[in-house]
Amino acid sequence: MMERKVRGRGMAASWYGIARTATIDRAGAWAEIDDGGTGKIVTGVTEIGEGILTLLAQVAAEEMGVKPEDITIGDNDTARSPEAAHAGATRQTYMIGNSVALACRDARAKLDKELADHWDVDADTIEAFDGEIWSKDSNLKMSMEEAVDICKKRGVVPVGSGSFTAHGTGLDPVDGSGSPWQAYVFGTQVAEVEVDTVTGEVQVLGIWAAHDVGRAINPRGVEGQIEGGVVQGLGQALMEDYQLEDGHTKTHGFAKYILPTSLDIPEINTVIVEDRDPKSPLGAKGIGEPALVPTAPAIMNAIYDAVGVRITSLPATPEKVLAALEAKSAAGQLEAAE
Amino acid sequence: MSEQTPTDLQLEFQINGRNMKRRAKPHQRLLDFIRDDLALTGAKEGCGAGECGTCSVFVDGKLVKSCLMPVAKANGTKIETIEGLTGWGGDLTPVQKAFHKTGASQCGYCIPGMVMAATSALRENPKADIEEIKERLGGNICRCTGYTKIFEAVEMARDVLSGEASATVLEADGPGKSYIGNNVRRLDAPSKVSGRLRYAGDMVMPGMLHMQVLRSPHAHALIKSIDTSAAENLPGVACVITSDDVPGEDGFGVFVHDQPIMARGRVRYVGEAIAAVTADDVLTAAHAVSLIKVEYEPVAAVFDAEEAMQNGAPVVHDYAPDNIVKHIPIRKGDLEQGFAEADLVVEQTYETQAVEHAYLEPEAGIAYVDHDDVVTVVSPSQNITHHRHMLAKIIDRPINKVRFIMSPVGGGFGGKEDMIYQGMLALAAMKTGAPVRLVYTREESIISTAKRHPARITYKMGLKNDGRITAVSFRMICDGGAYGLSTEGVMRKAAILSCGPYNVPNLEIDVYGVYTHNTPSGAFRTFGAMQSQFATESHMDICAEKLGLDPFEIRRINMMHDGAVTHTQQTLGSVSMGRVLDAAEKACRWDTGPVGMRGQERSDLGGDDTRPPCTLGARFRKTGDDDRQEVA
Repeated sequence: MMERKVRGRGMAASWYGIARTATIDRAGAWAEIDDGGTGKIVTGVTEIGEGILTLLAQVAAEEMGVKPEDITIGDNDTARSPEAAHAGATRQTYMIGNSVALACRDARAKLDKELADHWDVDADTIEAFDGEIWSKDSNLKMSMEEAVDICKKRGVVPVGSGSFTAHGTGLDPVDGSGSPWQAYVFGTQVAEVEVDTVTGEVQVLGIWAAHDVGRAINPRGVEGQIEGGVVQGLGQALMEDYQLEDGHTKTHGFAKYILPTSLDIPEINTVIVEDRDPKSPLGAKGIGEPALVPTAPAIMNAIYDAVGVRITSLPATPEKVLAALEAKSAAGQLEAAE
Repeated sequence: MSEQTPTDLQLEFQINGRNMKRRAKPHQRLLDFIRDDLALTGAKEGCGAGECGTCSVFVDGKLVKSCLMPVAKANGTKIETIEGLTGWGGDLTPVQKAFHKTGASQCGYCIPGMVMAATSALRENPKADIEEIKERLGGNICRCTGYTKIFEAVEMARDVLSGEASATVLEADGPGKSYIGNNVRRLDAPSKVSGRLRYAGDMVMPGMLHMQVLRSPHAHALIKSIDTSAAENLPGVACVITSDDVPGEDGFGVFVHDQPIMARGRVRYVGEAIAAVTADDVLTAAHAVSLIKVEYEPVAAVFDAEEAMQNGAPVVHDYAPDNIVKHIPIRKGDLEQGFAEADLVVEQTYETQAVEHAYLEPEAGIAYVDHDDVVTVVSPSQNITHHRHMLAKIIDRPINKVRFIMSPVGGGFGGKEDMIYQGMLALAAMKTGAPVRLVYTREESIISTAKRHPARITYKMGLKNDGRITAVSFRMICDGGAYGLSTEGVMRKAAILSCGPYNVPNLEIDVYGVYTHNTPSGAFRTFGAMQSQFATESHMDICAEKLGLDPFEIRRINMMHDGAVTHTQQTLGSVSMGRVLDAAEKACRWDTGPVGMRGQERSDLGGDDTRPPCTLGARFRKTGDDDRQEVA
C-alpha cells in the first residue's frame, strides 16, 4: 500500500539560441559622456521587466568609467532613438548590451584622446572607473566631471555610436540546414515534488536550476529571470490551461484561468554557469526564455519518480494525475489476476 | 469626466492623511475614483474581479481590493494608497527599500499592490514567519518574479523593522572593482515600489477621448452589413471606425500580414475586433458599441489543427487553402538506417495546452496626431520598430510620419509583440484629431490576444542498448489559431531545438503551424521550444527506464560536446552542456539510480533547500504568543 503523500525527483536538460532566429540580428545605440561626469545612452529599448535598463547602466558605467546611477537612458521612441528592434528572443543583453558597450567605447576614445593630449601621455594609458579617470603608472588623475569639462573646452563633445550584429543564417527549405544563431546556452533543472495520491495534487517543493548565461552582468537579475521562468514553467506544468469550446473561451478570468500564487512556489536554488561568448564584446549571452524550458518536463519526470505515472499531456492537473493513478492501479490488478 | 448629475454621491473621507470632500458617480468603484478622479494611479487594475491584488489599498487600516469596493462605501473612511506610504518625494519605507535591494520588482505592475500586501502583513504581525508571509501575500499575483525575491524582501523588511537586522542591509552594495558581475540595484525599482511609474493606462492627455471595441461573437462568419448610425448619433460619441476607415494596405502580423486592423468582411475567431467607438468617456463608448448593428452569416468553422489539415476542412484564409501557416522540415542522416541500427525503438505522443501570458498589465495605449502631423502611438509594445513599418503601410503615410513610443511594459512574455490594437487607436486619432486612449479589461485581454501554441507531438526514438540515440522521427502539429502572428517563427524555433542538446545522427523533424478558428497563437517566452523540448525530455526518461539508466547518465551519453554538429548541421564552438548537468546534479545532491518509481527509496529528499509542503488551512498566528498558537 502506497503512502498517501509521496515524493520524487526528476530532471530535464535544455538548450536555446540567443537573439533572432535564422536571420541577421542588429541593434544600435548612441552614447554621450555628459556634463558632471554623467552618461547618456539612447537606444530603442525599454524595460519589459527583465532588468535591461539596469544592465545597460552597468555596461555604460563600466565602459565610460562613471557610476550606474549617473547614467540616463533615453526613451524607446522610433522618432528619437536608433533602432534596437524588439524586446524579446532573449536578445536584449546580447544585442543591446553589446551595442551600448560599443557606443560607450567610441565616446570614451574621444574623451581619452583629448585627455591624453592634455596630459601629454598615450591615450592607451588612460583608465577610468566609478567617476574617476587616470593615466596608468602616473599620478595624473581627475574626476570624470573635470575630464568632460576639459574635453569640451578643447572643442570636443565626447559622443559615440555603436551597432552590434549577430550573424544567423536562414534554414534550407528542404533539409533545414543552416546556422540559426551564433550563441547557444544550455541548462539543467531538477524538481522535487510531493504527490497526494488521494487528491492527485502535485506540489513542487524544490527546484535546482543550473544555466549557462555566458557572463552574469547582474547575478541577482539572472536569478530573478530564472525564478520567474521556473514559476511560469510550473504554472504550465500543473495548472494553467486556456480552454475553448467551439472557439469560445471558457477561462476568461483569473478565477478560471489558474496561475501560481505565493503558496505554490518551490524553494528555487540557482546555479549560474558562465561559458563566455567569444563573439561579442561583453561575453554575456542571455537567460530570459531558456529558464522556462526544462521546468515542466523535470516536474513530469519527478511525478513519475514519485508515483510511477507518466503524464504526457500538460497540465498535470489533480484530475489527470488521479485518473492516471487509477489506470495504473487497474492495470496492476489485471496483471496480478493474470 | 462627465458632468454633474443629481444622482452624484457626496463623499467625505480622508486619503493619505488629507481630508477631502468630493462628488462621485454611484457606479464608480473605489479604484476608479482614486485613479480617475484623484489621479492616484499607483493602484492598478489587473483583473477587476478581486483576483489579482494589483489594486490593493488600505481602508480604515485593512487591506482592501479597491476594484471590489463601491466608492459609496468609502464615505467617512480613512484611505491609504501606495502614494501615502511615502508621500511624493518622501523616503521609501523599509518594505519598499527591501523590495529595491532584493530585486523584488521586475515589470513592476503588481508591485504597488504587493508592497501594500507586504506592509499589511507586517502591520498585522511584525513577527510573521515565512509561511505566514506567503499566506498573507496569497491574494496578490505576480507573473514575473516567481515571488522568491519578494519573499526575501518581506523577510528582510521584517528583520529591519524589528531591529533584528541593521538598516544597512537595505543599502546598495559597493562598486567593488567592476560594475560587471555586480548586483547593482535596479534603477527603475524606486519608481515601481512607490507606484510613481506611469504605464500607458495611467497616462492622460488634455482633451483625451476613450475607445471601446465591438468584438465578434462568432468563430467564423461573413459580415453582411455593419450599421453604425445609431452609435454615431449618440451624444458624446466622436467617431466610429471599421475596416472601411483604413486608407492603406490593411494587414499586420510578424511574418505574414494576414490580419486586418478590424475584421474585413469576415470574422475568424470569437473576440476579433469589428468596430471601435471613440467617445468622451468609457461608458458612452461602451453604450455606443451596444448600438452597432452587425448582420452576420455564420459559416462552418474548424477548431482542431489536425482536422484543419484534412482535405475539405473549412478554409481560414484563402491564400492558404491547406490551412498550413508554415511547415518546417529538418533532415539529417538516414532515418531508416538509424532505426535499423537501433536495439530499442520507443514511440509516444505528447500534448501541450494553450497558455495565457497573463501579464498583470492588460493592453493599453494612447494615440494622437502631433503638431507636425506625425501619427503617434504610445503603448507597451515589445516591437515598436516593426509596428512602425506596418502602421505606415496601413495608414499610407511616410515612415517618418509614424511614431511609436514604448511605454513601460507591465509584463510582456511575447504577448505584446503583436500590433493588435495600436492600429485602431491610430485610425481614431486621425479621424477625431484628439488623443484617444484604449484600456483593455482582463476578459478582453484573455479572449482576444495571442496564446502559447498548443502542440501535439509524435515522437519515435531509436537507441542502442548502451543508451546512444541512433535516430529520431519528430512530428509536431501546432494550433496557430485564426491569424499568423508569430507562428512561422515559433515553428522554426520549435523545430531547430526540438531534439534537444543531443547528438542525433539520423533525424526527420516536421513541424507544422496550422490555421483554425481558435484564438490566435503567437509569441510566448521560449517561442515553441518548451513544447518541443518537453516531449524530448519526457522521452529521454522513458527510454532511460527501458535501458536501466540514470537520467543524467542517458543525457551525458548523448549530449553535445564542443564542436558538435547540430540538428541543422551547424558546427558549434564551446558547448556547456556537461557543465550545467554537473552543476545541477551536484547542487541538488542527486541520488544516482535508474529511472523508475524510486521516489520513496531516494536519499536526497526533503533537504534544507526545499520548502515544507502546504497543508490545508491558514497559517496565521497570534502575535506575541510564545507557543505560537494557530488561530485559523
